[in-house]
Amino acid sequence: MFALVDAVAFYASAEKVFDPSLRKKPVVVLTNNDGCICAVCPIARQLNIPKFLPYFQVKDYLAQHQVVIRSSNYELYADLSERMMNVIAEFGDDHHVYSIDEAFLQFSGYQYCIKDWMEYGQRIRQRVWRETKLPVGVGFGSTATLAKAANHAAKKLSGFTGVAIINTESNRKAILTRMAVTDVWGVGRRLGKRLNLIGIDNAWQLAQQPSKRMRQQFGVVMERVVAELNGEACLEWDEVPQIKKEIFSTRSFGERINDYQALRSALMNHGATVARKLRKQRSLAKQLLIFASSSVHQEPYYKKSLVHQFTVATANTQTFAEAIERALTVIYQPNVQFYKCGIGAIELMSGQFYQGDLFNQHDENEPLMRCIDGINQRFGQDTLYSASQQMRTNWHMKRAFLSPHYTTRWQDVPKIQC
Amino acid sequence: MRVIPILIEAGITGFESPAAEYKELGLSLDQLLITHPNATFIGLASGHSMQDIGIFDRDLLIVDRAEPVNQGDVIVANFNGCFVCKIIDKVNRQLLSASNAFPPVLLTSNDEFQIEGVVTRSIRIHKATRELLACLR
Repeated sequence: MFALVDAVAFYASAEKVFDPSLRKKPVVVLTNNDGCICAVCPIARQLNIPKFLPYFQVKDYLAQHQVVIRSSNYELYADLSERMMNVIAEFGDDHHVYSIDEAFLQFSGYQYCIKDWMEYGQRIRQRVWRETKLPVGVGFGSTATLAKAANHAAKKLSGFTGVAIINTESNRKAILTRMAVTDVWGVGRRLGKRLNLIGIDNAWQLAQQPSKRMRQQFGVVMERVVAELNGEACLEWDEVPQIKKEIFSTRSFGERINDYQALRSALMNHGATVARKLRKQRSLAKQLLIFASSSVHQEPYYKKSLVHQFTVATANTQTFAEAIERALTVIYQPNVQFYKCGIGAIELMSGQFYQGDLFNQHDENEPLMRCIDGINQRFGQDTLYSASQQMRTNWHMKRAFLSPHYTTRWQDVPKIQC
Repeated sequence: MRVIPILIEAGITGFESPAAEYKELGLSLDQLLITHPNATFIGLASGHSMQDIGIFDRDLLIVDRAEPVNQGDVIVANFNGCFVCKIIDKVNRQLLSASNAFPPVLLTSNDEFQIEGVVTRSIRIHKATRELLACLR
């Protein structure tokens, strides 16, 4: 048996943990730069607030219904996520964190000690709620994909109170027929459209397809999805969190910029982010994509992107900085109002098994990078940064509705009335 | 071909400290004061109603959400959208203060009330450092 435990509107729920005045209010959380709505709490959901709509389009509607608006407080979410994951991990010996707000548990041999999965699921929910004040949904299934489907049912379908199980033919059919094919784990929007075209609209219909045909038309991944939907486990844990094959850091500016220094420091920051993420998963980049553009909504549209090829694959922030510096002379144009820019490491290799080259010694400066990463991890992001990043605020993330960092900064600990 | 990335060093290195083998991890206050790290948060006491049991204005409170709540425990609750620190009287459904100047608060069905956790320790700051001053702001 597998379980998927995930938080209900995690970001929005996290905002309520240390601010009890929000517990009974509708809360939405905005993405980077306060651009779009990315989380809607259940109370706000009743107001039919669509997700991923630009904030300015719904601003008046939100104000009219006194919806509380928050910027993404990543420091808080990361801390709460870790606590939640640790509590969940106590419910099974095979625990796998899948994303910031969802975790899998795999149970083998538990049939002797757990008689009632429904009750076990409720126990998980109650424990997580009590200890972290985060609401979670729990789905059980005989495969990871079915657990994910059950979780969807637990939270989204009527007739469930936070826990659902798929372990018999009848409950499998009952739940899968009520799920759109795009709600199946691993089926994206584009794939969903193609499936719709050949008459497959819900998850049950997908499960009924002959696996050979699915493999021929959609590839091996789809064949596995179908098998998993039919209760045949074929995903291994180490396949679930595949090492990222590309790492990007991009963002639109809080306000448009047109000076060289601002664009330079923004790109340098993205470069530093990408390098840090590479080091974290022990990868090296062979190619770096460097780009900047104006807004598509404004004439004339300008976009320039360059690919820098490193002689020796690297994850060194300084080497990245040199490449960005060179690219900038091409990308920057004095009269463009830049709206967005970013860096992507697009050809990655393993840092552990990298084959060196006699004539091009690589210059990773690992001790320095480890030191920078260590200090930033300990004292907060951007405690140490290279001079070219020039932490200026005019292009920085706009977080106008940011809540305090209750659990990571001393000056932000919650006040308790005595 | 393999290049072994080890630098060859020459020089006098001296003897290793004879105490090296005896090194242990230092004492940690977290370990002593926090029983359930995932369920614990730190708050700042504000007000005078809990003085008689030794919780003063601007003390740090360690609040444990996993600890069972017993009659007479010092707790933190969400009372009408506000974190409060009081003594819980489950029998009479009221919140008690530890100071005669503050009468008990009876909980009614109109109140929003939720126990957030048990105050397991409180910490008195006698001499503030920079970090502590930041938190006491």
